[in-house]
Amino acid sequence: MIRAWHIALLLGVVGLLTLFYKGLWGDPRAIPTVLVGTPAPTFSGPEVNTGEIISLNHFSGKVVVMNFWASWCFECQQEHENLLAINRRFGSDPNFVMLGINYQDREEDARNYLKVYGNNFNHVRDLKGTISIDFGVYGVPETFVLDQQGIIRYKQVGPIIGPVYTHLTEKVIQPLLQGPLPQAL
Amino acid sequence: MKRILIIALLSLLTTSSVSIADTVEEQILDIKTREIAKTLRCAVCQTESVWESNAELARQMRQVIRERLAQGQSAEEIRNYFLSRYGDYILLEPRKSGMNWLLWVGPFVLLGIGGVLLYRTLGRWVAQTALIKPEETLPIDALHRQRIEQELRSLEK
Repeated sequence: MIRAWHIALLLGVVGLLTLFYKGLWGDPRAIPTVLVGTPAPTFSGPEVNTGEIISLNHFSGKVVVMNFWASWCFECQQEHENLLAINRRFGSDPNFVMLGINYQDREEDARNYLKVYGNNFNHVRDLKGTISIDFGVYGVPETFVLDQQGIIRYKQVGPIIGPVYTHLTEKVIQPLLQGPLPQAL
Repeated sequence: MKRILIIALLSLLTTSSVSIADTVEEQILDIKTREIAKTLRCAVCQTESVWESNAELARQMRQVIRERLAQGQSAEEIRNYFLSRYGDYILLEPRKSGMNWLLWVGPFVLLGIGGVLLYRTLGRWVAQTALIKPEETLPIDALHRQRIEQELRSLEK
């Protein structure tokens, strides 16, 4: 009886220590996403440079890469060249669209940023933060990939650099454009 | 002239009562916004609620709460909306369902187990160190007895 108690206690302590050890690693600020696999919320807003109203509905039936960014965000600068490269590579495909969502930024700063770092796709201004909240965004950069049915298939918190860039282009965008849709990305 | 005065007075009363009603409605919206925002975690500051935080995201979330309340949504519907966007993380108080029960019940279960273990251990210690009966004590030898009596006498003086 006592031995059973001791084993149960030992297992409990080991379990708690394992959880504690696991908790020490990873980003404590990371919020597990709940949106992957769900339909993307619709939105519309003015384009940063032209002011033209852009709506997600305009792109139904296409694979959409949405990147949330801000001019004050250092990691956004790090990934910017890769975002341009993604649109250079897939932009000619009629089933592909790349969209930037400008987050908590001033219009003038956003325009200057695009002038300085270059631009080859449209950017929607999130004027009241509602697009970001609808997508559960809590910082920048964050990137979402929507499939041709408008389902969120992938979410990346942090910059699209190094292996993340390779994974996004080879294992996410390319297969989604080719179809049939893979179950897990 | 009299008629004009009455009309002016009536329109003044109507306008002020409408503005009072608007103010009351705004105050009710503010109170409800605060109640909901206090239950949501600020996603960028972690230890603060959406109500307490000065972060831009928290400010925007408060605005979303207010707009949804104005549209007639209930507190539960608004909390569910944020839950559907950010998951359980957004709630300052975990929901009482599924694995979350571990968080609610776990500390009490651990406290109970600790109490039982403490009770058993203390019981064992008490049993091992039973009180010594007087007859089991060693008799004092003559020399010590003499010394004690001497000390007592000196105290009585």
